[in-house]
Amino acid sequence: MTFAVELKGITKRFGAFTANSGIDLAVRQGEIHAIIGENGAGKTTLMNVLFGLLQPDEGTISINGKTMAIDSPAVAINEGLGMVHQHFKLVPSLTVADNIFLGMEIRRSGLIDRAAQVERTRALSQKFGLKVDAQERVAGLSVGIEQRIEILKVLARNARTIILDEPTAVLTPQESRDLFETLRSFVDDGMTVIFISHHLEEVMAVSDTITVLRDGRVVATRPKQELTKRELVRLMVGRDVSFDRRPREATQGDAVLEVNDLWARDDRRLAALKSASFSVRAGEIVGIAGVAGNGQTELAEVLSGLREASHGSAKLYGQEITGHTPAEIRARGLAHVPGDRLARGVDRNASLSTNILMGRQRKAPFAKNGIINWSVVQDEMRALIKRFDIRARGPKDVAKSLSGGNIQKVVLAREFTAGGDMLLIDQPSRGVDIGAQEAIHDEIMQQRAEGRAILLISTQLDELKALADRIIVMFEGRIMGTVEGNTMDEDTIGLMMAGVDPSDVKEHE
Amino acid sequence: MEVLSTIFNVALIVATIRTTAPILLVALGGSFTTKAGIFNIGLEGQMLIAAFFAVLGSIWTGSSLGGLVIGVAAALVFALVFAVLVISFRANEVVVGLALNILAGGMTISLMKAIFGTRGSIVGRGIVGLPKVQIPGARDILGPYAQLISGYTPLIYVAFIAVPLLILIYGRTRLGLYIRVVGEKPEAAEALGISIAKVRYTAALLCGLLAGLAGAHMSLGYITMFTENMSSGRGFMAVAILIFSGGDPWRVLAGCLLFGFADALSLRLQTFGFPSYLVLAVPYTVALTALFALSWKARPKLIRETIETMQRALSVHPAKSETPDTRSNRS
Repeated sequence: MTFAVELKGITKRFGAFTANSGIDLAVRQGEIHAIIGENGAGKTTLMNVLFGLLQPDEGTISINGKTMAIDSPAVAINEGLGMVHQHFKLVPSLTVADNIFLGMEIRRSGLIDRAAQVERTRALSQKFGLKVDAQERVAGLSVGIEQRIEILKVLARNARTIILDEPTAVLTPQESRDLFETLRSFVDDGMTVIFISHHLEEVMAVSDTITVLRDGRVVATRPKQELTKRELVRLMVGRDVSFDRRPREATQGDAVLEVNDLWARDDRRLAALKSASFSVRAGEIVGIAGVAGNGQTELAEVLSGLREASHGSAKLYGQEITGHTPAEIRARGLAHVPGDRLARGVDRNASLSTNILMGRQRKAPFAKNGIINWSVVQDEMRALIKRFDIRARGPKDVAKSLSGGNIQKVVLAREFTAGGDMLLIDQPSRGVDIGAQEAIHDEIMQQRAEGRAILLISTQLDELKALADRIIVMFEGRIMGTVEGNTMDEDTIGLMMAGVDPSDVKEHE
Repeated sequence: MEVLSTIFNVALIVATIRTTAPILLVALGGSFTTKAGIFNIGLEGQMLIAAFFAVLGSIWTGSSLGGLVIGVAAALVFALVFAVLVISFRANEVVVGLALNILAGGMTISLMKAIFGTRGSIVGRGIVGLPKVQIPGARDILGPYAQLISGYTPLIYVAFIAVPLLILIYGRTRLGLYIRVVGEKPEAAEALGISIAKVRYTAALLCGLLAGLAGAHMSLGYITMFTENMSSGRGFMAVAILIFSGGDPWRVLAGCLLFGFADALSLRLQTFGFPSYLVLAVPYTVALTALFALSWKARPKLIRETIETMQRALSVHPAKSETPDTRSNRS
């Protein structure tokens, strides 16, 4: 049998670090083959070797039964491979058609033939069912459409085997579903798809065969039917990890945060948060569900003082917090874990100690008479490294040298020990490994048990299902409804996330 | 009123076109590097060195064309050195640009001393200026307005024709497209196998070509002489125009016309007995004011945030505006 792609004994080293170690991978023609593993398991390195961006130290690559050296992406493209990178490489000021044909422009008497490019783009778009407007500029298009353009780019180069690196990381659930349908239709046409992910559900939903990588080695290659989600996690992480709803006691106290008819505008000055009203009590986790970009970010920013409210009130312990600066709101007891940890959570170039010091640089025992006592800060950081199981060499490590999950733990460590009793946690496990995710969830449950009020914003329903006591669903800036965490039904939430009113949902049933 | 009508007349427009041309040429050259993502502060030096070698070349060869070619060649050598250092060796573009500017200034002075044994300027000595192009029939049709389109040196036509030409290059040719892509999103170019270095080298050399023409026009155009530091900041004005125009040819043209007009006006005012040091500052003041006004609307986020922070700090309740949060936002 010939395989669309066959890798034998691929080893790739970076200095003393072995990213891939003796990897065997055989992808049959006409299947969706998922490669799953945690961050740093070697997935991307392997694909870069296959695509000619990196050269393996050992091992051979065969494409359609032909063993060959792939020493540049051009060779790979020539052999019918196409790669959709995790970070899109589109030029914003150019049109969709220009982007698709960039590097292989259609020309007539020396000038670029725009009309022909648009024509070809429309034909491709129709043939593969990927809807795009060929003449639109890429700037301002949604990531879902950007991804379609990337896929069309690959198809325009006649790819028969398509590699997608973490394709759903930036997509909404609907966009992901559309993508999966597209991938299915490719396979039905006899094409082959290699799908890299660390997202379990998706891999289980879409693939035919799954290869699990851990620490640069293949741990298993099996047909999907022979695997369960639980097994898959065990293979990936190397131990059992639970995603079930966390056991809890009802410990709800008084309302800590009360939001009443709160409105806010987004950066384009359009209403992004519309008449939100809800409350969060002590000892309770309230989840905010919704597709990214439906007002959650604006809500978090208003509550933390980073964005002006245009109308309405938000009270923390009965005191108005709108119109106050982040420092004032923090002083009243809000701790904020920002959604974009690299932009707002940490200073990437500063040490862990400096990061942990931020916000308490004027407080004893960290500072006395305006002078920072670094040895106290270092000691505190060392203690936090231990308590939060942060994988770092020490307090002097620069934040950016840590993995995403560990950076997130640094942010959590700082915020959870800041003394605030109202925790605003935005996307705690975005881009975080499963193992670290579990630890973060443990810590959030611990905070709940200690009686803190928690507002948890997440785009991952699994996470809310595991943690939240109540789930508020947002759509286009409005609260569509509230669901009790223990009785939640994913379909109902899914419909509400898509803008369907919950009362209609009931009638529908 | 009479004074105004003597200042503002056809001759002023002609003068504007003349003074605009060299800065337009050099700015259009810089448009290539700007679009390709290189901040080229070395325009001034390329222009100056071209002006000097154009004079030298025209004396050696006895022809203005020879001077032009040698002047452009000198600018290309500077552009190549810039490209090698910045693109291949990844040196800081501002440092390299400034160094080349200083080198050009010093080199022209010492070469002048070595070759001609003089300081200050080279006049006469067999310098052949560029011919003037008389468009046949212009005088018959337009009468006194013929001077608006006829009688300029060839490079002035080149400068203004270059504007639509650049628009065509950026909009419809592969090279122009690649220059834009390399400047805007190098990763995209790299992923598609477009050589970033090759495109940037091309842009840098095209820039050298146009800067060289600008320099040659300065010393062989309306005045046939070379004086120390005769580019007198035009390269830097071009850089300013490029920053505000983003290299877009139409906007470059608009910026250059503004500067050219102010320059022509200041020359005119000088003849009316205004103090020359004030008058000489006019073009720079006008250009800077206009550029500032233009950029105010689209002022960068950094400036906006700084102003907001300052306003907050100066307001009645300053106290805690400078929190760790606002600080980390900016990082």
